[in-house]
Order: sequence, then structure tokens, then C-alpha cells
Amino acid sequence: MVRLYDCNAMVGRLPNLDAGEGTASGLRKAMDRVGIEAAVVGHTAAWRHDPATGNEALLAELAGEPRLRPAWVGLPDTCGELPPPAEFVATARRHGVVAVRLYPADHGYRLGGPDCAPLLDALAAARLPLLIDANQAPYPEIEAVAAARPDLPVVVCQTGYRALRTLTGVLARVPNVHIDLSYLGTHLGLEWLVERFGAKRLLFGTAAPVRDPADAVTRLLWSELSDAEVAAIGGGNWSRLVGGIRC
Amino acid sequence: MLTADPLTDAVLGRTPIDGLDVIDAHAHLGPYSRFFIPDPSAEAMVRVMDRCGVRRAVLSSCLAIELDATAGNAATAAAVEAHPDRLAGYLTLNPHQDPEAEVARWADHPGFLGVKLHPSLHEYPVTGPAYRPAWEYAAATGRPVLTHTWTGSSYDDPAMVAAVAERHPEVTILLGHAGAVPSGFDTVIELLYRHPNLYLEICGSYFTGRALERFVGELGAHRIVYGSDFPFIDLRYSIGRVLFANLPLAERATVLGGAFRALISRTDQSTPDRSTDHCGLTAVRGGSP
Repeated sequence: MVRLYDCNAMVGRLPNLDAGEGTASGLRKAMDRVGIEAAVVGHTAAWRHDPATGNEALLAELAGEPRLRPAWVGLPDTCGELPPPAEFVATARRHGVVAVRLYPADHGYRLGGPDCAPLLDALAAARLPLLIDANQAPYPEIEAVAAARPDLPVVVCQTGYRALRTLTGVLARVPNVHIDLSYLGTHLGLEWLVERFGAKRLLFGTAAPVRDPADAVTRLLWSELSDAEVAAIGGGNWSRLVGGIRC
Repeated sequence: MLTADPLTDAVLGRTPIDGLDVIDAHAHLGPYSRFFIPDPSAEAMVRVMDRCGVRRAVLSSCLAIELDATAGNAATAAAVEAHPDRLAGYLTLNPHQDPEAEVARWADHPGFLGVKLHPSLHEYPVTGPAYRPAWEYAAATGRPVLTHTWTGSSYDDPAMVAAVAERHPEVTILLGHAGAVPSGFDTVIELLYRHPNLYLEICGSYFTGRALERFVGELGAHRIVYGSDFPFIDLRYSIGRVLFANLPLAERATVLGGAFRALISRTDQSTPDRSTDHCGLTAVRGGSP
């Protein structure tokens, strides 16, 4: 049985979708249903309400949940809503945070602008992976911030089924850009990308509960990839990225 | 998973489904202008079907829906003729490209099991008079019509399709994508309550097993038809949410093939039933129309 480590899941309610209980126990039940062993988890309150309190709520929700590792939501330091970048990253590491999610489109700033640069620099210094949904920043901006920070693992999530003409060039030019499977929907796109870039650039992520985790599970396990490639994408690659985090 | 389940166990064990006549009722074929598809050939499609245990797919070529119904229907027919035991076709009718002639040209071809309409791409309302040959052909043959739908569209909002269903109660119509947008699912359910000749086909970027559970609970599995949209979108994204849905095995099996097989069995020519009786699935074959 392939061990699956979901790099892209959430707890919390959603305002536009019946997302279930929104609790850690509810997420665990959903993971068990589709055979997922562990997950990197953000909180919808940190995305759709307030990053500061949402990040705190996440830690409370995940307390005593060894299968669930926290991912905080970050912001530029312009308004002082979160601690300055170095302190934010240090605090995150102290709490076992294994990734940071950014929502520049939804939260009203530019990923590639000067306001966000100090935060990105701090993440890169710690090698703390950045998770960003494809609809949150244009690909040229994602490419630019990743290319400028080779130590920053960037994971682009929910890329969709229409992305390869753009995405392929970014992957070819910037080795620290990765993509997750949460909606890598192109027919045979997973196999095509692995053939060109190797399995190490792909990560198993579901975008649960926004997306049905069964989608990514079935896409990976019924792929035409070898068991070794599936194991790498299913969890090995993420473990490698997390293993590189500097304390 | 706490208990054995032949569908989810197949996924988790990386083996194809065995013993179930899975039918993908919404497929395409060939390249599409707006994005890159690595290998959209019929051969690659059949290979993916083999990988998953999908026995049959019913397709309309991308050429037919996107540009040229005449050349595209020929491409559909060629794929079906090359893989007659795995692929069947929808006859694509474009209201701007002499649909009457297309019907006349392909009416006797055994590979076409139904009609495909794409009002959004053809920028013509599904209620418009130029679709008359489609409804007449479907009524005369009993063949289903699969139409693209999108909640809020001025061409193929589900309520517009329901208006057609009201005018043609003898025609079986599948709402492709079930309107696609979750905010429209309540309305879609109401439309199906009112029109027994409407069915839901469920491929779509926003669909989930949770939505499927609701559809089946409200309408019964026999009104819900599995489709993937492949190779437009990879087949494996849309089938997983059905396989892992929190529904009894019999209901998942009906969605995966039984419901569509029941529709086709009413036509003037049904697909040969090649299913075998493995995995204790015999009782659910055929669904219940």
C-alpha cells in the first residue's frame, strides 16, 4: 500500500460550500476513507477571515493530532497584522509549522512586490516551503520570486487542466518550483511531466475539503507511473522538502 | 478503509476494476485549441481505460464540438470503428452547420448511440429552433441527447434544457456536468423532480463525492450517469469521487454504468452487454430506470 502524505489540506468551515465538519477529526475520517496517512493542514479562518487568529486556531485544532502538521498563512509586514518576517518564521518553526500558505490575490497584495519580499526572504532562509494556489498570482510572478530564491521550495497548487503551456516553461527554468496533484487535471499530464522533469517535482496534495481528496488519490494510484515514482510523489518528495527545513 | 470494497480496493491496490461494466458517458477525442493535451488519441484513451477498468466510453470528438461537426463526426466514427468493443459515439449536431444533413449522413451508423449538443461553444440557445433535427432524431430512435450545461449560461442553463424536456417528453436528455456550478445543484434537483426524461451526467471541475451522495439520495442512482470528459480532463479525477463516495456499492455501480446502460437499452439499438458477473455485482447490473 502506498503511503500518502497530503501536502495541501485544510480544516475549518467554508462560506460557499458544505465542507463537512471542518474539524481535525472530520479531516482524519476523510483521510481514512481514501487511504491518506498524514497531511499538512491549514485553517480556512486564516485564509477567509484573519490570518493571525486563524493560525492560532489551527494550532489549537491540531493539538494532539500527530497525523496532521500545521501550515500557517502569511502576510506582508506592511500593516503589522503578523509579527515581522524573521519572528513570524521563528515562531512558526517553534510550533512545528511545516509550510506557509500565501493568498496574494485574496488578501490584496502582490506576491512579487517589494512588500512581500522580506517574508519570502525569511521563508527561503528557513527553507520553509511556500504553498500557493495557482489562482493567487500570475505565473511570471511565481517564477520570479522562486528564481530569485533558489532555497525556497515553492509548491503551486490546483494548477488545473489548462496550465501546461505556461507551467511547463516555469518548471523547466526554475528547479525549486513544484506542483501538487490537487487539480493537475490534464489528461496524461502527470505522466508527461514526470517524463520531462522526474517525479521529484510533483507532490501529492488534495486541496481538501474544497476538492474531493479521492480525485488526487485516484489520479496518482491509477497513474502509469512506477511504484517508486508513486511513492516519491505520494510522500517521499514532501518528506525531503520538510527534512530540509532549517531550525 | 475499514471493510473490503472492490472499487476502492482496486484504486488502493493500483489494479483496475474487475467485473463491472463501467461506462464513461461523457468523453471526447483529439486535441483542443485552448490548452495542451499530451496524447488525446483514441489509443491512449483506451490505454487509460484499461488502466482503470473502464470498459466503454461514449465520445464526441473535440473537432466536432469545437470547429467542424462534419469532419469531427467522421473522426468520432473512425475512432469507434477502430475500437468497436470499447468506444461508441455521440453524433455532434451544430445548429450552424446543417444538422439535418449530419443526421441523414450518420443515422444508420451503428457506432453512434446518441446525440451531443454544445450550445455554449456554438453560441446558440438549446431552446432554439435550429436544434429541431436533434430532438426529432432522438425522439424517433430513442437515443439520448447529451448536452453541455452551465448554470447561468444564456445558451444552456439547466432550466433552458428543462424547457426542451417539457416540449419533448419522449426524448431522454442528459444534463452534461449537471450544470457544473454547485450553487445550481438545488435547482437541478428540482428540475429532475419535474421532468422524468432528464438525467444528470456528473463530470466537472467542481464536483465531489459529497455532491454525488446528495444527488443519489434525492433522485436515486438510476438518474445519475458517470462521465469523465476525458481526454479534455483526465478520467481519473472524476472517477475517484464516485468510487470513494459514501454510498452503497450497488448505487455506485449504477452510477458507473447501470444507469446509462438502462437508457441505451431503450433505444432502437443497444450496446452489446459484455459485462461479467464478478465481485458480487450481478444484482446491480442494469440499474432500475
